[in-house]
Amino acid sequence: MSGIYILCIGFKEVFVRKLFTIGLSVIAPIMSLYAEVEEEHDHLNHIHKESIDGDKFDVDTRRFNEFINGLSDMKVAVVSVNGMVCDFCARGIEKTFKRNSEVFKVDVDLGRGKVLIAFSQGTIIDFEYISRKILENGQTATKLAVLEIR
Amino acid sequence: MGFSNHLKESIYYHYSPSHKYSVGVESLKNKYYRTNLSYLRLTYLLKRINTKDSQVNVYFQSGIRFDKFHDNFFGLRGDWETRRWYVDFNYKELETNNLTYTHQDYQVGFAPYLGEYGDLHTWVMLKTRTNSLTKKWSAYPVIKFFKGNLLFESGYSRDNEWDIHLMYRF
Repeated sequence: MSGIYILCIGFKEVFVRKLFTIGLSVIAPIMSLYAEVEEEHDHLNHIHKESIDGDKFDVDTRRFNEFINGLSDMKVAVVSVNGMVCDFCARGIEKTFKRNSEVFKVDVDLGRGKVLIAFSQGTIIDFEYISRKILENGQTATKLAVLEIR
Repeated sequence: MGFSNHLKESIYYHYSPSHKYSVGVESLKNKYYRTNLSYLRLTYLLKRINTKDSQVNVYFQSGIRFDKFHDNFFGLRGDWETRRWYVDFNYKELETNNLTYTHQDYQVGFAPYLGEYGDLHTWVMLKTRTNSLTKKWSAYPVIKFFKGNLLFESGYSRDNEWDIHLMYRF
């Protein structure tokens, strides 16, 4: 009986080892492919910045650099917006924020669904205010990140 | 907003106190009855769905003639759009000169390129429409351009001639 038991364990070990080898040979190329994709993720076209409250967000580098060019001692609100699919409809967002005297500049990134708003340094920017203003124009704000520009 | 086609020429001024509704006055020349008239119009947003890549709208639309209250219209209008695709419908029931009829049109379109904010945006569309008086469907191509606060749309069919739509957002 014990001989049969050892034989079974032996079979099990061989089976598990084979399974592991096959699994590894399938998973490894996928993992290496994934690693290549990660390496190709070169951040040339977008950057992951960190907001003052620690949240990460995703913006277009060129657009963001153009936006902050010439700005200093300000806060930039990066707002993720749903429903912002058309330039003509997004015009109202720019108009709404430009009525605020603490706002210096507004930009809309239709492709990423982002609105960039430059506020004076002393402004307290809260999500409720931003989302109310976005909703006045008919879109939905989903996320806010605030950056300080020194 | 200015509009011209084989049935009417109109200028429509409207104001939106919120994104939910707009009120306005439409002055139009009815080419069929050869009359000039003005409507007080109300458009109300019944439903809007915003997603990351799309927007869906359903509106109630209505209008009543200033001098003849029994001349009026009401109906539904809806659209679904992404940055690339556009679909809309428009259904109206109209009462004019003791005649009641319906009008419906449908439109599908796409943007041949995706412009950035501030660029010239272009849409190529196909529009089809009918009304219960003629019971004939017509379909024709429409091209729409907008840049900044200005929108221009034009379509042409041999039956209906030119459709021209000009809009400026203040």
